[in-house]
Amino acid sequence: MSANIVIVDYAAIFTVGSLLVASLTLSRRAAVRQNLAFYASLAVIAASLLFTLFNFSIYLASNSRPSYTNLFHEDPLSYFFALTVQIVSLLVMLSSRNYMWGDRNLAVYFSLLLFSTLGMVLLSFAADLLMIIVAWELMSIPTYVLAGLRKDNPFSNEASVKYFLLGAFSSGILLYAISLTYGLTGTTNLTAVLQALQASATHLDPLTLLALALFIAGFGLKMSVVPFHMWIPDAYEGAPTTISTFLSAGTKKAGFVVAIRVFVVALPFLSTNWTTAFAILALATMTLGNVAALTQRSLTRMLAYSSIAQAGYILIGFAVATEPAKTLALIGVLFHAFNHAIMQSSAFLAAAAVDRLTGRVSLDSFASLWRRMPITSFSLAVSLLALAGIPPLNGFWSKLVLFTAAIQGDMAWLALAGVLNSALSLGYYAWVIKRMYIDEPVGSMEQGKIEEPRVISGVLLAATAIIIVVGVYPSLIYDLAKAAVLALG
Amino acid sequence: MDFPILSLLIFIPIVGSIVVYLLGRVRERLCELASLVITVVVFALSIYMYGSLLTSKEGASFSFIEGPYSWLSGFGVDYYLGVDGLSASLILISSILSVLVVLGSWDLITEKKPIYYFLILLFEGSIIGVFCSLNLILFYVFWEIVLIPMFFFIGVWGGPRRKYAAMKFLIFTYVGSVVMLLGFILIYLFTTPNTFNIPELVGKIPFWVQLLASAATFAGFGVKLPVVPLHTWLPDAHVEAPAPISVFLAGLLLKMGGYGFVRVNLGLLADASRQYAWIFIAFGILTMFYGALVAMVQRDLKRMIALTSINHMGFVLLGSFAGISASTTQAAVYGISGAVFQMFNHAAAIGILFMLSGYIHEQAGTRNIDELKGLRVGMPKTALVLILGSLAGMSVPMYSSFLSEWMVILGAISVNRWYALTVLIPILTVAYFLWMIKRTVLSPLPEHTHYHDLHNRAMVGLLLYLVPLFLLLIFPSLLLGIVDPLSLSLYQAAGGGR
Repeated sequence: MSANIVIVDYAAIFTVGSLLVASLTLSRRAAVRQNLAFYASLAVIAASLLFTLFNFSIYLASNSRPSYTNLFHEDPLSYFFALTVQIVSLLVMLSSRNYMWGDRNLAVYFSLLLFSTLGMVLLSFAADLLMIIVAWELMSIPTYVLAGLRKDNPFSNEASVKYFLLGAFSSGILLYAISLTYGLTGTTNLTAVLQALQASATHLDPLTLLALALFIAGFGLKMSVVPFHMWIPDAYEGAPTTISTFLSAGTKKAGFVVAIRVFVVALPFLSTNWTTAFAILALATMTLGNVAALTQRSLTRMLAYSSIAQAGYILIGFAVATEPAKTLALIGVLFHAFNHAIMQSSAFLAAAAVDRLTGRVSLDSFASLWRRMPITSFSLAVSLLALAGIPPLNGFWSKLVLFTAAIQGDMAWLALAGVLNSALSLGYYAWVIKRMYIDEPVGSMEQGKIEEPRVISGVLLAATAIIIVVGVYPSLIYDLAKAAVLALG
Repeated sequence: MDFPILSLLIFIPIVGSIVVYLLGRVRERLCELASLVITVVVFALSIYMYGSLLTSKEGASFSFIEGPYSWLSGFGVDYYLGVDGLSASLILISSILSVLVVLGSWDLITEKKPIYYFLILLFEGSIIGVFCSLNLILFYVFWEIVLIPMFFFIGVWGGPRRKYAAMKFLIFTYVGSVVMLLGFILIYLFTTPNTFNIPELVGKIPFWVQLLASAATFAGFGVKLPVVPLHTWLPDAHVEAPAPISVFLAGLLLKMGGYGFVRVNLGLLADASRQYAWIFIAFGILTMFYGALVAMVQRDLKRMIALTSINHMGFVLLGSFAGISASTTQAAVYGISGAVFQMFNHAAAIGILFMLSGYIHEQAGTRNIDELKGLRVGMPKTALVLILGSLAGMSVPMYSSFLSEWMVILGAISVNRWYALTVLIPILTVAYFLWMIKRTVLSPLPEHTHYHDLHNRAMVGLLLYLVPLFLLLIFPSLLLGIVDPLSLSLYQAAGGGR
């Protein structure tokens, strides 16, 4: 199937779906509105997920070669990321059944989630800088609204405004980078950019380097790279926790896929510049993320910083994404991006469940949580151990691949920094587990068992199952990632 | 061999752990009985495995090989198991201690039983996995799984400072492990062919990689053994852990460090080990003296035993590296076999002491050596077991622990005469054990003190630890029969004796 047809299908599924869901706001009866919106969005995301799986398996089975059009690539890389972000969307939507239930604007909420997911899917396939910016905005703008969905909550408003300002800033930077690239090469198609820069010597031009730096900054804001990370903790804490999940596990991953397209595919001959930049950013990002996470008192903020730190591990892959370690490094990036999406969703959604039921996310209130919410505690513990990289959970394997790539790419110091950071991170991950399983409840805290929300519990168990299955049988995802990387050439 | 005995040894406990947990939810007594059944089955299997190795005298090469089955294709990660003399003896002691620990836990663990026995079996399965993995990553996976049950054991069932001890244990060992992992990655990347499989790596690793990898793996193995100054987690963990768990901790978890030194340093990084053996030996001697001297001044009986265990494990480091750098084959076999023998003996000897300290704490309400008085009159059975156990800790010639320390010192002397100074260690050990016995057993019973004595089942459970020590004193070839060929082949593969 040609790339355009695939994209048209996606666009049709999502656009029709989300408009339909949005129109439900017109319904007067709240119950109808909520239930219909929920099931309709689930149907949309399930349909598109099946569509992705179907196309991906056909693609792999028929040994197709990547197909290009002016705007889109259809290759395993795009399917890989489309799959990842749609799984995250699905998990987030399901959990919203419990977490957001009763909100007045539920139909809008689901409709915006669908639009943003469409943006991420388009971004996975985009092969043209203009398409990238359009998809980027389609992904981002709904999330600004979603972050501020709780109009009467000042934290939610703050989160939204802060996120919006920095998000708009990053779009502006990206546009500037794109216009510079267009000025230098006369094209916005990534393949054509590569050829144009190869043909001329313009890649030595200082303007090219400026464009490169702007690309890094623009993507970096979404990928939560230090020093562009300041909005993350506030936004994740203030936004509804399901939306924090969506941002951390979903939109962030979309940042990585375009970064691969732009840096690795279009600008390989500038690699000495961007690999050095990414090596430094990786070190700063993981270290700052982990050190800051150590001192947090609320689970969502801790997870926000941990999410920054995890982005740092992924950047290790970018830092060595040149020969001889290119294949391994990119496999590591994809593999860890997938794993991180699952682990982070699980951890954040567990936080959402706790938030919804106890109204608190401060770490002190987690004391002996396992008595009150056994399923949530168990899933949270597993996802935290996976985030720390304890085998045989999925996070271990992708970190192993990343660190091996770092040593292979002559950046052993980065691998050393990575493992020491992993050790540091276990400090705060284990601290939460200690709180849940070892500490006695403090003072007047309630003791009674809480009936855990069914849908979130189901989602958590499913995510835990993925974490364990991928951990025991890593080839499942590793082979897909490998296929995606090899097709890049 | 038709059935995959090693996989069974690993996965019977791991799968069994879930069964035990579910049974425990129904009735708590059921999970105690089921754990005993499972550990006994594993023990029987390991006896069978050990016996067939012993009769075929194939301690030097790997037997019961399973795999390599590709696990992460194209990345050198395989499912690959096998046992030689070293693995077999450690698997045997693991299965013995598991049975005894389950028996001891019946008395000493009263809370949250289902999850406790779940973790016990998970621990047993994964530690057996550590001892028979032939792929470095598989080894690492099991190595890390071991941490999780241990963290919860200390944190949930531990003493007053259990939270601190559990976190300290976790952080120390995890930092050591990840640095060790870097060493494994180095070995993988810079050896042709690129592989993590131990048998294929032997003798192929370039010297500079061996040096770097030795430094990296020292962090992992050294924390576990433990080597002074990486030992500080150990006294805390031991004091806080419940007694049965201390048995696992000292009896098996420390052996992971010793196993790593012999398997990886002596087996794979042999050139670096031969050339720089003196560094490891110096650490070993430091560890021995430190352990003995600090044990002497302890007031807490359990802390004293914990430091004894540091003292004993120093022999492992001394013996193995003295052996690999020895100039004669005889000395090499003495050193390396002595080290492996010492690991086995120490597991049994320290097991009885720790378990007993748990009973004493339960019966007398204290473990303070100065407060425990008149045990001879107050609890005669306990006193008897304490004396018998202490004799094992002192390595007197009524137990095989005497043989192993003697072998290590003999091997060391033939490398350098100054190592003869290590004979001071058994003397110091005897001194502090006797002093402890004088204060507790031989002192008069204070008035108005009533102790409960050990009941008979507990006493039998404790004395069982001493059976292997007696047996091996009389028939040391039961163990050395498969360990000696291994020591010889390690030594020859490292280029010794030419």
